[in-house]
Amino acid sequence: MRVATIALHTFKESVRERVLYNLVVFAVLLTAAGILFGIISVGVKEIILINLGLASISVFGLLIAIFIGIGLVSKEIERRSIYSILSKPVMRSEFILGKYLGLLLTLVVNTAIMTAGLYLALFYEKRTLALSDLNVLGAVYFILLQLAVVVGIALFFSSISTPILSAAFTFCFYIIGNFLADIRWFGREAQNVFLERATALLYYLLPNFGNFNVITRVSHGEKIPGYLVVGNSCYALLYITILVSAAILVFEEREFK
Amino acid sequence: MTALTPLAARRRFIRPMCGILIAAGFLALWPLQRSIDQLQGAQAQFADVLYLSSGTTLRRYCLGYEGLLADVYWTRVVQYFGRQRLAHSTRFELLGPLLRITTELDPQLLTAYRFGSIFLAEKPPGGAGQPQEALQLLRRGIVANPDYWRLWQDLGFIYYWDLKDYRNTSRIFRIGSERPGALPWMRAMAASVAAQGGEIQTSRILWTEIARQVDNDAIRQSAEAHLLALDAEQQITALNALLDRYRDQQGHAASSFAELVVAGYLPGLPVDPTGVPYVIGAKGRTILGPRSKVDLALLQ
Repeated sequence: MRVATIALHTFKESVRERVLYNLVVFAVLLTAAGILFGIISVGVKEIILINLGLASISVFGLLIAIFIGIGLVSKEIERRSIYSILSKPVMRSEFILGKYLGLLLTLVVNTAIMTAGLYLALFYEKRTLALSDLNVLGAVYFILLQLAVVVGIALFFSSISTPILSAAFTFCFYIIGNFLADIRWFGREAQNVFLERATALLYYLLPNFGNFNVITRVSHGEKIPGYLVVGNSCYALLYITILVSAAILVFEEREFK
Repeated sequence: MTALTPLAARRRFIRPMCGILIAAGFLALWPLQRSIDQLQGAQAQFADVLYLSSGTTLRRYCLGYEGLLADVYWTRVVQYFGRQRLAHSTRFELLGPLLRITTELDPQLLTAYRFGSIFLAEKPPGGAGQPQEALQLLRRGIVANPDYWRLWQDLGFIYYWDLKDYRNTSRIFRIGSERPGALPWMRAMAASVAAQGGEIQTSRILWTEIARQVDNDAIRQSAEAHLLALDAEQQITALNALLDRYRDQQGHAASSFAELVVAGYLPGLPVDPTGVPYVIGAKGRTILGPRSKVDLALLQ
C-alpha cells in the first residue's frame, strides 16, 4: 500500500513536471513524417510511419527514463524531503520500489498514449487496420521492457551518485548494452584467451539491449516469436530485480545527516 | 500616482528594449542567411557526398534504429535519382552505393530492390543505364528474401528488356515461378520467352504486368509509355506493309496517308496511340507526327 502511494506520488510529480508534453512533439512528428515522406519518398510510407513511431516511443521513453530516473532519489535528498519521508513509517526498500514503480507507471502511460497515436496515424494512412498491425504491440512491449531496465539502472546510480554522473553512467550503460554482441565478437577475433573470457563476462554481466530490438522486423509485418517474448520478459524481470535490489542495498546502507 | 523608482523606471525601459532586440534579431537572421547562401553560391547547395560507404558499419552504430535509417537512405536514393533526372544528367555514380547502404541497413526493404533496380537498369536519361548493378542488387535481395518471387520477376525483366538475354530470362522466370505464391503467368512467360525471344506480345505482357502492380505514379507512367510505344511500333509495322501494298498495286509510292484513304486502303487518317496522325517520312516509311507524345526510343 505504502509502495503504491509513493508510486502514485512519483507519477503525479512527473506529470506536474510536464513530462507528458513530449506527446505533442510526438504527434507533430508523426503527422509531419506521414505527409513529408509520402511526398518525397517511394513505397515506404507505412514502413517509415512504423519505424519512426516506434523509434520515437523508444527515444522519448529513454530520455524520460534517464532524466527523471537519475533524480528519483538524489532530488529527494537535495530537497531534504527524504527526512520527512523516512521519518514516517516507510521502509527504505518501499521508498525505492515505490519510486521505481512510479516512474515505470509514467512510462507506461506515456508509451500507451504514443502507441494509440501511432495506430491512429496508421489508420489515417491506410484507412483500415489489419490483424498484422498487432505485431507493432510486440515491439512496443519490448521497448517498455528496455525502458524498465534503463529506469532500474538510473535508479541504482541515482542512489549512489550525483544526477549528472548518474545520467552519464546510465547513458554509457545503454550504449554499451547495444554493442555487447560486437564487444563479444571483438574478443573472439582477438585470439586471446583473456580477452575472450573478459568480453564473454561483460556480455553476460551487462544488460543486453540488443535483445529488445525488433523495430525493423515489425515494420515489415514480421511476427515476434513467442520464445523471444518469454525470453525477453524473463531477462528484463531478472535484470530489474538485480538493479532494484542493488539500489535498495545501497540506500539501506546510506546515512543521512 | 506614485513616482517610479530609478530601478523600476530602468526595468520598464529594458523589457520593451529586449523584446525589440529579440524581434529585430530574428528578422535580421533571414536576410543575413540569404546573403551568406548567395555568397557561398553553388558550394552551399546539397552536396552529393557519401560520408559513410558501408551500410554494415552504419548498422552497428545506429543503436537499433537501422530500419528508420534505411528509410532515410531510401528517401535519399529517390531524391538523388529525381534530382539527376530533372537536371537531365546521365551521371548516377552514387545510385549504386546508396542502394547498397539502404539494403545493408534493412535487407527486407523490398521497395529498395524493386524500384532501385528499375532506376539502375533504365537507359539514360531515364535511368543510370547500369543493368549489371541492377542484377547485383536484385541478387542480394533474393539472398535476403528467398521466398519473395517478385524479385525473380524483376531479375528476369532486366535480362529480357535491358540485356536482351532471352535464354537467361526464360531460366529466371522458370525458377521464379517455383517460388511460393508466384503467379501462373511467370511459367507461361518462361515458355514464351524461350520460344519467341523478343516478340512484341511478350514485351506487352511484361509491361502490362508492371503497370498493373506498381503503386508509384512515375513507374506506372513509364510502363504506360512503353506500352504506347509498343502499340505505335505495331501500328507502324502494319502501316508500312500497307504502304508497300499500295506502291505495288498503284505503281507509285504514296506521299500522304490521305491518298491511301481516297484509294480505300484505310477507313480514315491513321493516328498513333496518343491521337496524333502518323505521317509519311522522306524515305516513304511511316513516322510519328511532330506533336506525337509517343517515345519510340524507349524500345531501343
